Amino acid sequence: MSKKYTTFITVLFCLFIFGFGLALLILPDREFSEQENRYLTQFEAPTLDSVFGENGQFMVDFEKYVNDQFPLRDQWIQLKAWSERLSGKQENNKVYFGGEGQQTLFAQYTKPSDLEQRVDYVNQLGANVDVPVYFALIPDKTWVWADRLPTGAPLVDDGSTIRDAQGLVSEDVTFIDLTDALQGDDVFYRTDHHWTTMGACQGYWALMSAMNGSCTILESEPTLVSDTFYGTTWSSSGAGWVRPDEMYTWVPEGGLTGNTTVTRYPSGQPEEGTFYDLSKLEVKDKYSMFLGGNQGLCVIKNPDAQGGKLLVIRDSYADSLAPFLSLDYQEVHLFDLRYNLMSLKQYVVDNDIDQVLVLYSNSNFSTDSNLALLGM
Amino acid sequence: MVFSTPYFLFLYLPAVLFLYYISPLKFRNFILLIFNLLFYGWGEPVYILLMVFTIVLDYFAGIIVQRCKDRGNDKGARWAVGISLGLNLAILFFFKYWVLVASTLQSFGLNVPTFDLVLPIGISFYTFQTMTYPVDIYRGDAELPKNLINFGTFVTLFPQLIAGPIIKYKELADQMAFRTHSTDKFASGVQVFIVGLAKKVLLANNIGQLWDVYLATPGAELTTLGAWLGILAFSLQLYFDFSGYSDMAVGMGRMLGFEFLENFHYPYLAKSATEFWRRWHISLGSWFREYLYIPLGGNRVGAGRLIFNLFVVWACTGIWHGASWNFLIWGLYYFLIIVFERFFFSKVLQKLPGWVGHVYGLFIVMVGWALFAVEDFSAMGLYLKAMFGMGAGLADGDFLYYLRSYLPILVIGILAATPLAKTLWNKASLRARQVAIPVLVLAGLVLATAYLVDGTYNPFLYFRF
Repeated sequence: MSKKYTTFITVLFCLFIFGFGLALLILPDREFSEQENRYLTQFEAPTLDSVFGENGQFMVDFEKYVNDQFPLRDQWIQLKAWSERLSGKQENNKVYFGGEGQQTLFAQYTKPSDLEQRVDYVNQLGANVDVPVYFALIPDKTWVWADRLPTGAPLVDDGSTIRDAQGLVSEDVTFIDLTDALQGDDVFYRTDHHWTTMGACQGYWALMSAMNGSCTILESEPTLVSDTFYGTTWSSSGAGWVRPDEMYTWVPEGGLTGNTTVTRYPSGQPEEGTFYDLSKLEVKDKYSMFLGGNQGLCVIKNPDAQGGKLLVIRDSYADSLAPFLSLDYQEVHLFDLRYNLMSLKQYVVDNDIDQVLVLYSNSNFSTDSNLALLGM
Repeated sequence: MVFSTPYFLFLYLPAVLFLYYISPLKFRNFILLIFNLLFYGWGEPVYILLMVFTIVLDYFAGIIVQRCKDRGNDKGARWAVGISLGLNLAILFFFKYWVLVASTLQSFGLNVPTFDLVLPIGISFYTFQTMTYPVDIYRGDAELPKNLINFGTFVTLFPQLIAGPIIKYKELADQMAFRTHSTDKFASGVQVFIVGLAKKVLLANNIGQLWDVYLATPGAELTTLGAWLGILAFSLQLYFDFSGYSDMAVGMGRMLGFEFLENFHYPYLAKSATEFWRRWHISLGSWFREYLYIPLGGNRVGAGRLIFNLFVVWACTGIWHGASWNFLIWGLYYFLIIVFERFFFSKVLQKLPGWVGHVYGLFIVMVGWALFAVEDFSAMGLYLKAMFGMGAGLADGDFLYYLRSYLPILVIGILAATPLAKTLWNKASLRARQVAIPVLVLAGLVLATAYLVDGTYNPFLYFRF
């Protein structure tokens, strides 16, 4: 090989490593990744302690910093997902690609080994309070849409968690089986683990027929409010080829009579809220449109409803369900164990609660570390 | 520091190359020494002191050995060699094996502290490189280095510091004192480096995820085909990981003007265990032969002594791979098979058709990897049982899913473990190669960068060595 040619190869290699190295040093750092929906690691100047101290924290953080701030990070991640797909893989970063054109993304599901303990916390709540306690698990997307999964995909909800949980509940608790409650092509987002407004509506029907004997049927149709929603499953998948999801609102603000009020407690202090906070459609975490996102407590009052006061111990799936529940209950209290350390037993007494519903998605119930608070 | 990371590839390596090449020739070893120490101390800066101690110890041991020899004091020279060997082995024993010994003693009820030390990165590699230096001086195989910097640079040379190849001082002494630099060397280094990077990042990391699935599968749920698929994945992962690191070492060595010897030669083509060890981690095998097997008498001894010599060499080879008893078992497994081959089976093998040898060789090696890869003894037992048909049936749905998902990459891996690509490459015209090289270099860099930046799975397998 001629000197000219070997110089060309040398320069090619050096341009690549020097070029990206310099770009990394020169380009401004990003604070937040829209694609990954998380804050990126920032540079921290080394100190004697962070370099020579336990675990060499500076070096650990610096490695994360370089990865997070690497030029064109989002594009590299998408390229890797593409490469995995083209090499025949049906998953990337613990997300399955499924459905037509591999447009449906599934977060993998693992059945917990301590299911009995988890259900027992619900049983403790049932024994603690004097009002009826209902318990339901929302089946995982990998169960409801199993036909869209890659053939034989191993880490999925095979229905056994809900079946086993049903067998473990005590007589103080009424189990509502939602195994077959959700049906259709629009009950889940393709790019997110949550159920859609339509999925939540089907959940509402199934829950009400068990708890209330009847439910309200809305005459209006759901309203499309966004067609650019990329959920968290998409964020971890890197699957750049997937189309965004649509988001819908359904229950009219203020309820059917216009008298319904929403009071949020995002930080302990009451704030006026809405069923659907459309301003959240401007941010990456568009799912927080429903009731305005995570909060320890939210109370919805509908003076014109027939039913009494319902307390829902919930995860984020309940955010899109709550507007439906408020059609039938004078008060719906949404209680999130992750952000709220009040005693449930006391809360039921203090607020004259008539019914308690423990409602979790199967995946959250299988992993949440706050369930022990149910029994307190 | 680890090669397969963005901070190494895009910050450390350019910085080394830049400062190295703008420096006058006589300062280049010093520049390298500084960067080597940064590389070594990145994970645990305190251990730089240990490294400096090792360098100084062996450097002065070499000088004392030479002085004694010059004065005809053979006894003194032997003492100096012995003391430095003893100190090196003591350091290796304390930092690498003490935890294992102490925790084993504890399980017998003895109250000894484990100290819970972090294993200094690459200690097994560099200790082997430095402790034989006074031996070579004594034997007259090497001359004293010009100065401490040249010797320190040799000991810490970052391309081969943490995962080999194991280079003896006498092999590199000339290059430490004088080496040439050219774009020809650099460009050829780039190519070897990219091959290594692709092996590690695109093949080993990818296939390794399949092994992790089977390693995590409870022993009672393992099927026979599943267990073999898992071991196939581990065999490919370890080979591409290790030989990928060696290739990257050779490549970066060339970029800096060095020539290292090859460390692997298509090990999975071996037709026996004996041949496998002539093709796998060649520098380790040659080290043990030269500094342990032959001093023990080698094979020019009676049958009983020969078996003893082989036993010692294979027990040491096994435990060198990590402070865990399963590595000793793995070494002794090869001891038994190599004795069996030497005294009986190799004569039989020679008369059988070649494919029988290939099947036999792969079978021995893959069963060996099960001993190597599953550290927990009860899990290892279940894994072996599954491999030999005493598991949870022949295959299950998970097996089919993983086989389908990984089939393309496994096929690529299997082909890449043979000389096929090399044969095709040698047949291609110069023109075709000239077009292919920049395309492949760029493709390798781009894809490897994509996988490294995502960085969700990038294990470092040699943290035990």
